[in-house]
Amino acid sequence: MKRLASPRIPVERTKIGSSKHLPYLLIVPICVLSFVLVLYPITQDIWISLTDKTLGDKIGTKVNFVGLHNYVGLVHNSSYLASVRITTLYAIINVFCSVGAGLGTALLVNRRFRGRGGVRALLTAPWAFPDVASVIIFIWILNSAFGIIGVVSQYLPFDTSGGWLTSSPYAFISIIGMSMWKTFPFYSIVFLSALQGVPEDLLEAATVDGAGPFERFRAVTLPSIKPTLYLLELLAFIFAFRQFSMIYLTTGGGPERDTETLVVSVYNTAFKFYDYALSSAIGVTGLAITFLVALVYLILQSRAAKRDFR
Amino acid sequence: MNVVIGSKRTMLVRSIFRYSIITFVCLLVIFPLYWMLVTAIQPPDISLQYPPVLYPKAANLHGFQQLFQDNPMARWLLNSGFVAALTTLITTSFSILGAYAISWFKWRGKFVFGMMLLFTQMLPEALIVIPIYKMYSQIHFANNLPALSLIHAAFVIPVGVWILRPAFESIPKEVSEAAQIDGCDYFALLRKIIIPLCSPAILAVGVVAFFASWGDYLMAVTMISKQDLYPASVGLASTMSQLDTPIQELLSGALIYGLPPVILYMFIQKFIISGLTAGAIKG
Repeated sequence: MKRLASPRIPVERTKIGSSKHLPYLLIVPICVLSFVLVLYPITQDIWISLTDKTLGDKIGTKVNFVGLHNYVGLVHNSSYLASVRITTLYAIINVFCSVGAGLGTALLVNRRFRGRGGVRALLTAPWAFPDVASVIIFIWILNSAFGIIGVVSQYLPFDTSGGWLTSSPYAFISIIGMSMWKTFPFYSIVFLSALQGVPEDLLEAATVDGAGPFERFRAVTLPSIKPTLYLLELLAFIFAFRQFSMIYLTTGGGPERDTETLVVSVYNTAFKFYDYALSSAIGVTGLAITFLVALVYLILQSRAAKRDFR
Repeated sequence: MNVVIGSKRTMLVRSIFRYSIITFVCLLVIFPLYWMLVTAIQPPDISLQYPPVLYPKAANLHGFQQLFQDNPMARWLLNSGFVAALTTLITTSFSILGAYAISWFKWRGKFVFGMMLLFTQMLPEALIVIPIYKMYSQIHFANNLPALSLIHAAFVIPVGVWILRPAFESIPKEVSEAAQIDGCDYFALLRKIIIPLCSPAILAVGVVAFFASWGDYLMAVTMISKQDLYPASVGLASTMSQLDTPIQELLSGALIYGLPPVILYMFIQKFIISGLTAGAIKG
């Protein structure tokens, strides 16, 4: 209470005088770009989702307003429900496995060792590697006739003769493998730099008190890397939810529609089945999910901020 | 204190264990890239042998030759470079202005603006690519490379602001006060003090924007349908979908197209990571 009564320190930097209009002028370029290329398309999406428009419609074709018809249809649309399930599974595996593997690797290599700089540079390579180039590599590696994966497959106790990208569940497993290859090395580097902030003396004190490695991790390391952990889990979720080209170009959503995540479904419904209205309705549900995640993130952050200031 | 240090033997075992894990992870990460290199320089009849050999038995550059002969690959790379350069320019300048507004001024609506950026950053582009395509074909912006870079910029700017904000905020108060006494106005402050002091972060934004644009496939394939306007991503994907493209040519393409961003990224990875962790701590 005492702190509240004391004169408030201004949080914002207004010290070089205050200008009323300048900040608004500064954000004009970004706002124009966002209104035209993000917000306007979103309103279009919402509007189209309430009609029966198809992508082949000529200009001037009459479009009928159908209310929530498309959304009501989604509840019974088995391929939509499947795509929600696939997206969820894909995101959860990314959030837990990629981030987990990243943390595991970081904990193991969290010592100074020879060639550490080189290892770090190496580990960023997949993250920076463009999607289309990664896709070409993996299509070649996973090729059912000539791919080097054949060397591994023949020792596996499963029948993978349907192809790693063309039969279930291997297509899904392949996509997970590609995403993990792309993301976990990068996560491990971010974790590694967060681990430098773990207080050394606390770790030593815990050791003297007889804490084992797991105890030390739970009581000392984990609390101090928690912000990074949350951030990377969010990043992994966004990565999985947005991922389009690596799925679209390897499996196209197939076999059947077994790897068709929500974003791929939006694209296929419009450009393969020409059902623009249904595609928009699917897209709007995706926008709602994005909005919810952003909200959860904000709430978590403001809680963290409150905790820090107490 | 023996508890802490441990005996020499356990130390040795541990360090062997650690090195083998590091080696294993590195091999796992590097193998696909190594395999790309091997296939790109090896004659295809060797690559198609079974079982595959893990090292190149012969080398030639026919893949690269074919790649540039059969396709307008040089053109595609040039298109990618042009779009990416323009995206970099737009993103960097707009992000600098936006980050300046957010970190140095107090104004109403800042929260809403921040929320909009956050939302845009999380938004999967694929969800709204169709309305953008509809709009672009109506205003004759389809098949237009500068127009494509506007889309790329719109989606990467939030990341740019996010990287710049903590850097801008870290400039000490005294510096700006001194500048004010010297008669600097807002733009002089930005130009003479903030931009030079934050040049590493600005460089990082530029690189992030460059390879976001360079790597994009979705927007490019939707907006660009003329073959000579393809960026490299779309061009390579189109050769990939032709089943008769030799494997050596395809992997040579992946190599040429994939390497520049990796090299760029390795130079700036330090800034990116410190930007990310600062973001995690400060929010």
